[in-house]
Amino acid sequence: MAPGNHAVRPLNSCLRCVRQTGNGNASLVANSARFLSSTARTPEDVQVNKTEKVERVDKFPELDPATVVGKRDERRLIRFRGVMPIGSRRRRAALQNSQNIPFEQLPYQCFQDARKVLQEDRQEKIKQIEVARLRIANLQAQDEAISGGKQAKENRLRSMYNRLEELKILADINDPVVKKKHEDGEEDMNKPIYRYLADKQWRQYRRKILEQRISQLNLVPDILPHLDPVAEVDLAFGRRKIPHGDFVDSLISERAPRLKVQVFDKGERLVTVVVVDPDVPIVQKDGFEYRCHFIASNIPISPTSTSIALNQLDLKVKDTTAKHIALPWLPPTVHKGAPYHRLAVFLLRQADGNVIDTAKVGRSTKRDGFILRSFIDKQRLTPVGVTVFRTKWDDNMASVMQRAGLGDQVNMEFKRKRVEPLPYKKKDGARYR
Amino acid sequence: MLLPRLLAPARVAIASSRSSSIALAASSAHTFEVVRCIAANPISPALTFIRHASHQTQGRANGAKDGPGKRLGAKKSGEEYVIPGNIIFRQRGTGWFAGENCAMGRDHTIYATEAGFVKYYRDPLKHPNRQYIGVALKRTESLPYPPNAARRRRLNMLAVQTSPDTAITTIIGEGRILDGDMTVKETKVNAMPRHKSGKELVMGKNYAFREANWQIGRAAENAGIKVRPFIPGDRFRAWQKSAARKAANAEKRGLRGKRGGGGKSKRK
Repeated sequence: MAPGNHAVRPLNSCLRCVRQTGNGNASLVANSARFLSSTARTPEDVQVNKTEKVERVDKFPELDPATVVGKRDERRLIRFRGVMPIGSRRRRAALQNSQNIPFEQLPYQCFQDARKVLQEDRQEKIKQIEVARLRIANLQAQDEAISGGKQAKENRLRSMYNRLEELKILADINDPVVKKKHEDGEEDMNKPIYRYLADKQWRQYRRKILEQRISQLNLVPDILPHLDPVAEVDLAFGRRKIPHGDFVDSLISERAPRLKVQVFDKGERLVTVVVVDPDVPIVQKDGFEYRCHFIASNIPISPTSTSIALNQLDLKVKDTTAKHIALPWLPPTVHKGAPYHRLAVFLLRQADGNVIDTAKVGRSTKRDGFILRSFIDKQRLTPVGVTVFRTKWDDNMASVMQRAGLGDQVNMEFKRKRVEPLPYKKKDGARYR
Repeated sequence: MLLPRLLAPARVAIASSRSSSIALAASSAHTFEVVRCIAANPISPALTFIRHASHQTQGRANGAKDGPGKRLGAKKSGEEYVIPGNIIFRQRGTGWFAGENCAMGRDHTIYATEAGFVKYYRDPLKHPNRQYIGVALKRTESLPYPPNAARRRRLNMLAVQTSPDTAITTIIGEGRILDGDMTVKETKVNAMPRHKSGKELVMGKNYAFREANWQIGRAAENAGIKVRPFIPGDRFRAWQKSAARKAANAEKRGLRGKRGGGGKSKRK
C-alpha cells in the first residue's frame, strides 16, 4: 500500500461517518458523535440486520474487489458485499495506482512495434489456415481414383488435418494475452491453443510424476502390459485431493472418490472407469489375485466437462438401461499384517460408437479374479489415463470391514511364514586342518 | 660404462710421466686425446659409474603377490535350491548383477531374496552386456520372465485367526490400557515403595528410599507435640531455659576437656 494511502485511511474513515450523517441515515445519526472512531461501539452495532446490511453496502461504495487493499477493507468487502477480493494484495495495491490502460494500447514504442510484427505473422498464419482448409475440401471432393487409391487419399487427408491443427496453434502461440489467460487459469479449453498449452504444462512435470508412480508401483506390468497416459486424472475423496500413490485412510476411501479428468484433444467421447486392486492375498495359492472395486461405463468426457463424481453418476438417471455404474463401489479393505494394497483407477476410452451395456457387464463380471487385460480386449477399450492410491490396515479398517460385510474376517491376521533353513552339510575334516 | 675403460690408459700415461724423466715420447697420440677429453670434463676420476632412475627390485616395492585367497566365486550353482539370504556369488566388482528375486550386497555379493532355484542368465532387454543371477520360483521356469507379463510374486504369509481381546490390547499411555472392546480402564502403578504408615517415599542419595523433606517437617505435628508459646515478659521461663542451656554447654565442655587433657598429658 502506498504510504500516502496509509496515512489518509483514518481520516477517510472519519469523513465517511460525517458523510453518512449528511445522508440522513436514521440509524446512524445516533453514532454520528463518534467522529474519530471507525470501529463498532457496542456489540449491537456489530449485529447486522437486513436493513442495515443494505445501508452498509452504500456506506462502502468505493470498495472495488480488484483494488481493495488492507485487511479491514477486504473483510468489509467479503462481509457486506459478499465479494472476494481479486488476486494478491500486492497486485491490488499495484492496480490502485495504475492507469488501467488496456494491454494492447500500452504506450511503449518497442512493445507496439513487436506487437505489429506478431500480428502480421498471425495474419499470415490465418491465410495459411484458409488455404489448408480449401485444399482439404478439394481433396475430399476429389475422386479416389485420381488421388491414388483410398488408402493414399486417407493418408494425405490425415497429414493435411495434422498440418491444419499445427497452423491453428502457430497462429496464437506468440500472443501474450493467450499466455496470460493460460497462466491465470482463464483459458477456454475448446480452443486448440489452450489445450496445447495445458498439455505441454502437464507433460512438463505432472505427467512425469505419474509415469514414475506407474513404474515404481509396478502398475505396468502387474495390471496392464503397457500404458501411455494422454489424459490427466486427479483423484479426490470429498475435498481431500490424493496425490498419485498416496496412502488413504480406510474411513475416507469407504465412499467412492471424485475424478477430475482433463483431456487435451477436442470433442466428446465416452469413457469407462475401472478400479482394480492387484494385491488381494490368496493363502491357498501362496500368491496374489486381482479384485475389481468399481466399473462405470458410457461417461461422456470432453475438454470442458472434466468432473466425474463416481458416487453421483446414477443419481439423476431414471432409465435403468442408461445407468452408468456396472459394479458399485466396494470399499478397499486390507487384512491386518498383510502388505499394502494398490488401488489403480483406470480411465478407458470406448471406441467411437461403442456403447457398453452396463447391466450385462454388471451381471457377467466377477469382482474376484478380475483381469483388466481381458476386459479391455473384450469391450474394445483403450487406456487413456490412470491414477493410483494405496491402503493398509489402520484403526478404522475393522469397522469398515464390518460395514462392508466382511465382519468374519476382521480377526484374521496375516503373519510371515517361517522359511525352513537348508540342512547344514558338514564339510570333510581334511579341509579344516 | 664407457668412461672407466677410456680412463685406464690415461691413468697409465699420467703415472709414467711422473716416474720417468723421459718426455712423452712413448705415449701415443691416442692417449693424449683422452687426457684432453678428461681435462674438459669436470668428473673426477674417483666416480666410476652413474645411477639412473630405475625400478626398485628389492624389499616390499612390488607388493605381496601371493596373499591368502579370498574364496570368491559361485557359492550356489545353477538350478540349486536357495532360501532368502543365501549367498549365491561372491565377487570383486560387478561381474554378475542381481536379477529376479536377488539383491546385491555391500561388497557386490549376490544373495537370494526369495526361496527358489538359482538361474544364471542374460537379459538383453534390460541391458545388452550384463550377466545376471536370478532365483526362479519354480524349477521349470526360465529367466528372464516375459517383460510385459504380471510379476510372479509369492505371499509368504499365513492367515491366523486372533481372538479380539488379545489382538487389540495395546498400551496407549501411562497406566492406561485400551481393551478389546475399546473401554479405558485405570491400572495401578506400584513402581514407588510406600512406608508402612502409608507415607510415600522418595529416592534419596545412594539409591536409598527415604521420607520426603516435607514429611519430616511434619513429624512433630503428626506426633502431637505441642510447643509452649513464647511469652516476652516471662523471666522465670527465660532463666529456666538459659540455665538448661548453660548446663548442657558445660557438660559438652567437660567431655571435650577430658579428651583434650588426656592428649596433652600424654605429650608431657
